[in-house]
Amino acid sequence: MRDKRMVLFGFVRGAAAIALALAVGTIFIFLSSDEPFTALKYLLIGPFVSFHGGVTAFNTQNFYQVLAAMIPTIFTGLAVCVMFSANQFNLAAEGCVLVGGFVGALVGIYVNMATGWHAVICVLAATVVCGLIMLIPSILKVKLGASEMVTSLMLNFVLLYIVLHFLNYHFADRSKGATMTYPFLDSAKISSIVPGNSKLTWGFVIALVISFVIWVFMYRTRWGYAIRMIGINESFSLYSGMNVGGTIVLSSVIGGMLSGMGGSLEVLGRYNTFVWRELPGYGWTGVTIAILAKNNPGLVPLAAFFLAYLNKGCQLMSTHSDVPSEMIDIIQAAIFLFFAAEQFLSGYRQKLVVKTTREELMKAESLKATEGE
Amino acid sequence: MFGQFFQTIFQADFLFIIIRITAPILFAALAAVISEKAGVANIGLEGMMMITALFGFLFAYWTQSWVVGVLGAMLIGILLGLMMGFFSFKLKTDIILSGIAVNMLGTGGTIFLLYMFTGLRGNTGALVSPNILIPTIDIPLINKIPILGDMLSGHAILTYLAFIFVFVMRTFLYRTPLGLKIRAVGENPNAASSVGVSVIRMKYIAIAMSGALAGLGGAFMSMYYSQGWNQGMVAGRGFIALAAQAMGRGEPVGAMFSSVLFGLAQAMKTKVSGLRGMASYNYLIEMIPYVVTIIGLVFYAVSIKRKARRHQLRPIKEKLQ
Repeated sequence: MRDKRMVLFGFVRGAAAIALALAVGTIFIFLSSDEPFTALKYLLIGPFVSFHGGVTAFNTQNFYQVLAAMIPTIFTGLAVCVMFSANQFNLAAEGCVLVGGFVGALVGIYVNMATGWHAVICVLAATVVCGLIMLIPSILKVKLGASEMVTSLMLNFVLLYIVLHFLNYHFADRSKGATMTYPFLDSAKISSIVPGNSKLTWGFVIALVISFVIWVFMYRTRWGYAIRMIGINESFSLYSGMNVGGTIVLSSVIGGMLSGMGGSLEVLGRYNTFVWRELPGYGWTGVTIAILAKNNPGLVPLAAFFLAYLNKGCQLMSTHSDVPSEMIDIIQAAIFLFFAAEQFLSGYRQKLVVKTTREELMKAESLKATEGE
Repeated sequence: MFGQFFQTIFQADFLFIIIRITAPILFAALAAVISEKAGVANIGLEGMMMITALFGFLFAYWTQSWVVGVLGAMLIGILLGLMMGFFSFKLKTDIILSGIAVNMLGTGGTIFLLYMFTGLRGNTGALVSPNILIPTIDIPLINKIPILGDMLSGHAILTYLAFIFVFVMRTFLYRTPLGLKIRAVGENPNAASSVGVSVIRMKYIAIAMSGALAGLGGAFMSMYYSQGWNQGMVAGRGFIALAAQAMGRGEPVGAMFSSVLFGLAQAMKTKVSGLRGMASYNYLIEMIPYVVTIIGLVFYAVSIKRKARRHQLRPIKEKLQ
C-alpha cells in the first residue's frame, strides 16, 4: 500500500519537476523570442513531427536521430550512475569520452586487421585506456584523500590538451584545411542499423545491452551491492569488513571504461575522421541523466531519451525560430535543481505518509475488533 | 633555451603578469574559503564567474560606468548564491549538484542570455569601450622605485582589492562575531545551533558573500582581463580556485599563496609559449596550470595525512615516555 503510493508520488514529483523546468524554459522563450509559439512548437513536438507543406506526419528520420544521440549519453549516464552510487563525485567522464573517442579513432586508422574484429578492438582499446585513466583520481582519493571532484575536473583539462597536442602534432592530416586525423579504415566503422543518414548505429543496441548488464551488476552482484552500500554508509561498510578503497577504485574504473566505450562508439559511428577539438559535453549530460534516473542503470536509457529529445527540440527550435539552442542548458539546469531537490513537494509527501499510516492503523484496529469477537 | 627561459622569467613585467593573473583566481579562492568555512562546498564558482562576468559587462555597457558594472556583478553573484542556498538548504538538493547546475547555466545559459539581451552570439567584442573597463592606477612613490614600481604599480583597482580582501577576510573570520558564527557553523553545526546560532542563516550569509566575491572575479575577467565577455573566458579558474582553497588549508592567507602559485603557472604558460622552439608544444604548455593544480592537491593531501597521523601518535608516544 505504502510502496505503491510512494512510487506514484515519485512519478508525480518527477513530472512536476520536469513541468516546472519546461515552464521556466517557456518563460525565457517568451522573453527572448518574437515568434514564441513557433519556437515552442518545434521545441516540444518538433523531434517527432514534420510540418512540411502544412501536412503533419511522423518524422522517422528525426526519431532515428534522437535515438542516435542517446548512444554516448547512455554510456556517460551509466558511468556517472556507477560512480555516484559509491558517493564519488568524479566528473572525469567528460575527459574520458574525448580520450575514448581519440584512442578508438587511432586504432581505427593505424591498426590494420581483419574485418569484423577491427571495430571491436578499437572500442576495447578505448575502454581499457579510459579505465586506466580513472585510476588517477580514484587512487589519489583512496590513498591520499585528495578530493576526487577537484582532481577529476582538472584531469578533464589535462586530457583535453594531451589529445589536442597529439592530434595537432602527430596524427593530423595536413592535406585538410581543418585539423583532423586521417579517415578511419572501413573495417573500424560502426555500421548503421537503419537506412538513411541518421547515424543510428549498432552502438545503440550495445548501449541498451550494457545498460542491462550494469543494472545486473549493480543490483544482482556482491560488487554492485558493495558499491551501493559504500554510497549509503561508508563507515558501516568499513566496519562490516568491506574493502572500501578497492571498491571505490573499482567503481571509478568501471565509470572510465563505460565513458571510453561510449566515446569510441560515438566517434566511429558518427564520423569518418576524428574531429573533436574541445570537450564534447557528454559527461555533463551524463550527470543530468544519472540524476534523472536516480542512479538506477535500468532507467538510464529512458532519461537519455528524454534529454536527447529535448536537445533535438532545442536544435530544431534554433533553426526554425530566433531562440538559440543553448536554451537547453537553462532547461537542463532547472530540471537538475528541481529533480535533485529532496524536499521538493515534501509537504505533499508528508500528507501521503500520514494518510497511509492512518489507514493502516484503522485496518489493524478493525482486524483486532474482528479477532476479539 | 634555458638561458632565454630564465631571462624572460626574471623580469619585472613577468612579476606584473603574475599579479594580474592571480587576481581573479584569488577572488574565486576567497569565495571558496568563505563558503567552505560555513561547511558549504561551492563548486558553482566557475558558472558564477561566467554569469557575473557577463552581467557585469552588460551593466557597465548599459550605464557606461564600470562602477555600476562591478556592483551589478556582485549583486548577480549574491543572487546566484542565494539561489543555490535556497535549493540546497531549503529544498535539500545536494550542494554539489546545485553547483553543477550553476555551472551549466554558466556554459550555455550565458550564451542564451547574451543573445536575449543584446542579440549578439558568442562574445561582446562589439560593445567594448574604454569607459566600461576597470581603470588602472599608479601608486605614487612606489611607481618611482625601479623594479618594485614596475611590478606593483599600474594594476587595476580590483587587483589591489583582491589582495586587500585577503586580510579583510582574515579579520572578518577571526575578529568579528559574525565570522566566529560562520566558522562555528562549519566546524560543528549542532554545537552552533545549541547556543542559538541559526545554522541556515549563517550558511546563506556565507554563500551570498561567496557569490559577491565570485562576482568581483567575474567582473575582473570581463571588464579588465579579457576586455569583453567571451565563452571560454573563465577557462576553469573557478575549479582552480577550489583547489587553491583546499591547498591553502581553507585559510585566506594560505589561499592567497596557492593562488599566486597557480597564477605563476598560468604566467609561465603565456611566457614559455612565446619562446622559440616551443611552438609545437603549445597545447602541453596550456596544460601546466591544471597539472600544477593536481600536484598541489596531492602535496596538500599528503601533508594533511601526515599531520593527522602525528596527532594520533602523539598521545601514544607520551604514554610510552
